[in-house]
Amino acid sequence: MNDGIKRREFLKVLGVTGAGVGLVGCSTDRVEQLIPYVVPPEEITPGVATWYATACGECPAGCGTWVKTREGRAIKLDGNPAHPVSGGALCSRGHSALQGLYDPDRLTGPTRRTGDTFSAITWAEAGDLLASSLASAGANVLLLSGRQGPTLTRLEEAWAGALGGRRVEFEPLSHASLREASRMAFGTDEVPTFDFEAARIIFSFGADFLETWLSPVEHSRGFARMSGTTDGFEKGRLVAIGPRLSLTGQNADEWVPVDAGSEALVALAMANVLAREGADAGPYATVLQAYDPASVASQVGVTAEALEGLARRFVTEGPGLAVGPGVAGQGRNATAANLAVLILNAVGGAVGRTLHPGSGHLSAPSSSAGDLASAIAAMQAGQVAALVIHEANPAYSLPPGAGFAAALGSVGFKVVISDRLDETARLADLVLPKSHWLESWGDSNPRPGLWTVQQPAMRTVPHFDSRPVGDILLTAARRLGQDLGSETFYDYLRAGWSDLHAAAGSPGGTFDEFWREALRSGVVELPSIEPIVPVLQTPDRALAFEAPALDGEGLALVVYPSSRFGDGRGANRPWLQELPDPVSKISWHSWVELHPETVSELGLRSGDIVRVISPHGEVEVPVYPYPGIRRNTAAVAMGGGHTSFGRWADGRGVNPMVLLPSEIEQPSGALVHLATRVRIEPTGEWRRLATVAGADNQQGRPIAPAVELAALRSGAFEAPERRDLEELQGVGGFVPVPTDGAPEAFPLPGARHGEYDPEAFPRWAMAIDLDKCTGCSACVTACQSENNVAWVGEDQMMMGRDLQWIRLERYYEGINADEPGLLDVRFLPMLCQHCGNAPCEPVCPVYAAYHTPDGLNAQVYNRCVGTRYCANNCPYKVRVFNWFAFSEIPEPMNWQYNPDVTVRGEGVMEKCSFCVQRIRQAEHRATLEGRGVTDGQVVPACQQSCPAEAIVFGNIRDPNSRVAQVTANERTYRVLDVLINTQPAVNYLRKVTFHPVEEIEV
Amino acid sequence: MATVTERERGKATHPDLRSYGQVNVDILKILGPPGKGWWFLFGLASAGVGLLFFSWGNQIINGIGLSGLNSPVGWGVYITTFVFWVGIAHSGTLISAILYLFRAKWRQSIYRAAEAMTVFAVMTAGLFPLIHLGRAWHAYWLFPYPNERMLWPNFRSPLVWDVFAVSTYFTVSSLFFFLGLIPDIAAARDHAPQGGFRHRFYTLLSFGWRGTDRQWHHFGHAYLYLAALATPLVLSVHSVVSWDFAMSIVPGWHATIFAPYFVAGAIFSGVAMVITLMVPLRKAFGLQNYLTTKHFDAMAKLCLVTGLIVFYAYLTEFFMAWYSGEEVERTTFWNRLFGNYWWASWIMLTCNGIIPILLWFKRVRHSIAALFVISIFINIGMWFERFTIIVVSLSHEYMPFAWGTYRPSLTEMGILVGSFSWFFFWFLLFIRLLPPVAIQEIKEVLPTPTRRTSHESGGSRAHAEVPG
Repeated sequence: MNDGIKRREFLKVLGVTGAGVGLVGCSTDRVEQLIPYVVPPEEITPGVATWYATACGECPAGCGTWVKTREGRAIKLDGNPAHPVSGGALCSRGHSALQGLYDPDRLTGPTRRTGDTFSAITWAEAGDLLASSLASAGANVLLLSGRQGPTLTRLEEAWAGALGGRRVEFEPLSHASLREASRMAFGTDEVPTFDFEAARIIFSFGADFLETWLSPVEHSRGFARMSGTTDGFEKGRLVAIGPRLSLTGQNADEWVPVDAGSEALVALAMANVLAREGADAGPYATVLQAYDPASVASQVGVTAEALEGLARRFVTEGPGLAVGPGVAGQGRNATAANLAVLILNAVGGAVGRTLHPGSGHLSAPSSSAGDLASAIAAMQAGQVAALVIHEANPAYSLPPGAGFAAALGSVGFKVVISDRLDETARLADLVLPKSHWLESWGDSNPRPGLWTVQQPAMRTVPHFDSRPVGDILLTAARRLGQDLGSETFYDYLRAGWSDLHAAAGSPGGTFDEFWREALRSGVVELPSIEPIVPVLQTPDRALAFEAPALDGEGLALVVYPSSRFGDGRGANRPWLQELPDPVSKISWHSWVELHPETVSELGLRSGDIVRVISPHGEVEVPVYPYPGIRRNTAAVAMGGGHTSFGRWADGRGVNPMVLLPSEIEQPSGALVHLATRVRIEPTGEWRRLATVAGADNQQGRPIAPAVELAALRSGAFEAPERRDLEELQGVGGFVPVPTDGAPEAFPLPGARHGEYDPEAFPRWAMAIDLDKCTGCSACVTACQSENNVAWVGEDQMMMGRDLQWIRLERYYEGINADEPGLLDVRFLPMLCQHCGNAPCEPVCPVYAAYHTPDGLNAQVYNRCVGTRYCANNCPYKVRVFNWFAFSEIPEPMNWQYNPDVTVRGEGVMEKCSFCVQRIRQAEHRATLEGRGVTDGQVVPACQQSCPAEAIVFGNIRDPNSRVAQVTANERTYRVLDVLINTQPAVNYLRKVTFHPVEEIEV
Repeated sequence: MATVTERERGKATHPDLRSYGQVNVDILKILGPPGKGWWFLFGLASAGVGLLFFSWGNQIINGIGLSGLNSPVGWGVYITTFVFWVGIAHSGTLISAILYLFRAKWRQSIYRAAEAMTVFAVMTAGLFPLIHLGRAWHAYWLFPYPNERMLWPNFRSPLVWDVFAVSTYFTVSSLFFFLGLIPDIAAARDHAPQGGFRHRFYTLLSFGWRGTDRQWHHFGHAYLYLAALATPLVLSVHSVVSWDFAMSIVPGWHATIFAPYFVAGAIFSGVAMVITLMVPLRKAFGLQNYLTTKHFDAMAKLCLVTGLIVFYAYLTEFFMAWYSGEEVERTTFWNRLFGNYWWASWIMLTCNGIIPILLWFKRVRHSIAALFVISIFINIGMWFERFTIIVVSLSHEYMPFAWGTYRPSLTEMGILVGSFSWFFFWFLLFIRLLPPVAIQEIKEVLPTPTRRTSHESGGSRAHAEVPG
């Protein structure tokens, strides 16, 4: 990788230096005019990409990213490999930021309300209006803001202070209860850091740490390193405890299905066992006495022996780590539940080893839903004359009972700074379009000492006359005669960083050098105070750990954050809408998860539309029978049911927040998510689910086999021989090509295509470790982004016309929602296998499907006539067809298209190309530099994005390549190869289980 | 001998036909001005053709997505109907060429219409490979035409074989059809009023036929050779079509039995279609003397034989799926009977396997009405056979997670109905423009005119000299 990085770095230095010099030298008004293309900037070579390092602004995790730009347009996001949070990976939501940037439903300019309609105004008029309104509001200004980077937060605080008002932060997926619990347990109200990699056994009490909880990408990497089997046959374990399996839960090795809200009791009972057996429970020793397993067992429906077993394993199989219960499990005892989990960690000796209090996410919100509730009360009381809302959509994301919309009526003047006319902006008097984070300056500080500058990767998309929020605020303050120290937010940011630099003892030379390096690398690590290992503090108030009461009757309702949309802010992005939900495999619409037994008890079937009725509201939603949920529980994901968010979001799915009461948990102030029971009433209607899932059962076929860890360790495991095939071979029948993926075996017999010399070319191949794959589907979106894969929409998805090049298959092998036991869910990312003996190639009448000398199974789009014979003959079903002209998408969404990849028209077949454009680019670069392509220089988008580091790509004929080395493993197999002799280039490594598995011959 | 004995009557193929002249009159009468019934049917067929081209045009403009096809079911009603029509096309050549070589006496009165059916069925079938393409405007890329980039079709692909098989079949069957028509067209020419459109039309198509001994001599040889040339095509074309499936690795397609299985199926459905067409034709034009129960009996027997072969092939498929021990194969066939599309398979088994059992009974074979009903069942059953093979197999392939379902769309149904209209459009034109029963060949099997009856023979000059 050395040579390639050098060139990339060279380009980045060139790009950043050029931009930096240009910016520093310019007058302030031109900050956002990054690249005036009239005069071709030096750092841009047409046809050559420029990367900018920045920080992802999609969730509080703050992943360091690289933005790939071509000719001044951002076209792809990659993780920044140097960044400790992202580690070079990115999640689906991160990738989809580009669709937020180019969203055609963004505001095209400032808009003000006249009566019931909105009309466009100029920025000058908007500025006047804002200034006069704020001036007349006096000190009664309220700034309601979503979570921001540290410097913008500081500016907002300063701005609100300068105007005499105050700032309230609102984060729908807040971790206030965890912070409060942390304060009570450790005396620091910061979110702790969870070191998944260091753990050997993890107990998740419902936290979806691979999806939305805190820092999913970082957690996925740590988790995969922990749970992936090493060469020395070491493997960690995950135990899921809770009423419903999220994707994180599906990755568990065991599931202890307990009723919603009883997680705290389980945690305390486990801590009780450990304390009884000698662990130090500190000030909680007396509290724990009340929760001995025998008494808890009856309340949670798990035997005392099972609880004791779980508890002992926390230590014996440790280091252990307990996490949870996350946002979905945030009930009326949220603080208590979080505290219980922290106590378990402390008693189990995890603190300081796998859990580090006080070192966590500084940028997590400093306020809670409780603060917002009091702000709403103030609004209702007429104490707010002017309200400025920025990057928050409370009209959508609060339960209607919160009375936010009604309270707005009592506010004199409402300004919303948003990129779209969302539900909250609809209620405003003035809407100011704000620039996307890819167009704005900012910074992130995901944990102490780790800083990243969020630098704009491109100038503002000209379709949208937007301004960065920092500049809007500074301009408004200046109009009101307040000087916040800088003319523009860029200056403000630099000034702040200058202080930071000075305070840290001026590392890296002068500030300009430091700044430039910060922009170039995207990572700044400043010395920070070593976190001390705190001891448990005496509880300062009494908490009830018992399962909280739920309103109403019927099934307990779990409202969980969507792993695709979060709280709903990603809902207008077709990539995310079309991405099959990692759990349900449904796209484009909402569903309610019910246990299959519950479904049949209610006389329903999959797809029946039911009315989900809570005491607080009701929604109509189709049924999805899900074996990973308790029989007495129903679950609905957040993020659907927008009414004013954009063409792809509006009217799609349901917003489960309407089912919830507006209730604030005390003492943390968190919004209660687990609060109610629901009745399920059939409506008599049925709809076809827009799902990509055929069967969830692999039918005993050689698709996703597993191997028991004990068999691996003892050496008892070896690839089974197929006697029937040998017999067949004896009579001259089918002859399988035996290979263990060793480099010298390539090219495999029978895989010669054409007259070229197979010895002279590489054989591109991939290895996917199914023991690491978490099924998160980041690869799917990464591929879609890199390869201009179109989306098809709900109707087409319902017809089974998905276009994604990677299909994340999910097979249930063992799942039981009734009692604690083993859980075995298999994930299999299925993409074109680039078969050496490809069934699709000979059947194409026009050679559109053909084999390249380097072993790729290529598809020539402009030769394809669309017979679809290749897709019929593809046993892996990875070929997808352009039934319509799906690539014709609204301007400027098409700005995202990768110019290196053909945009496919109607009537042609397409499929995974192994990112052939990246292969060719690496080859061309190597040729220009007079060398060969070295291992690791070709990284397909899926591998680059994979947070679990499950994918390896390279030339398998090179014995030193990583792919050859990873493949040389007894777990390696190739899907269906034994059955049909396709000789795939994708080698899968079996999932490893702790329990004996039924042997499938592969 | 003044009268024919009953015994001789029983042997004759057309016992109630007395003279050559009567044949001319009876058959050429059909070419007369059409009645209301014909106009009604023709109007219906024309509307259907309009529907065909409207649906297809709409699909070309908006995209093949207007069909119900998807992943994994990439082929559906279009290819089903293609195979159906190719199958229909087979019996025509079988009856005209193979039965000619075997000197089967019952072919004379039906072969003309059967041949016409063949030509029109191939014309219909030939549309579908175009219709089902994602980019129909590039269909010519499947032909090996000279081009500056030296791009050739992939001769390993069964679809390219298909192109050759179907186009060859169309060429040979239409040549054969036109050649056999020449003497009869000449008869029609002589019958048509001078100077009219029909006279000019027939003059053109009769290629100067005078009925001379020399012409008969050459005609006889040409017909024999073409018959010999067409015979292997009967077997090869549908074998090639079957290889579209058998050469793939799709469970349910990949079977060595496919070629004979498809050929038998093609003849089965083709003969059934001949019956379906002949029954109304006989009724409408009073051809009871020409299409006797003997003919229908013979066709019914052919149906029975091929139907048994087809049913045997079904059973063999199920047996082999079980016997192979391959789980994927077994699941595929289990799914055929009891999966989402169980009804399609049971329609197929009922119509093609069970209902034809009735043909064992002579009473059924001699009942025109019963044969008509059975033949329609067979047609339906054979369409569903292809549907079962294509759609049901594709919907349940190797990867369970990628299993899917397919529902035909309105566009597909429009094109399906349109394809029948297209076929009947040509067939209705044919029965009004060209003699639908072979005049000259009927005469071959009539008793030779004796002196006593010679004054009745007359007829046209074209047939004055009966071939020897």
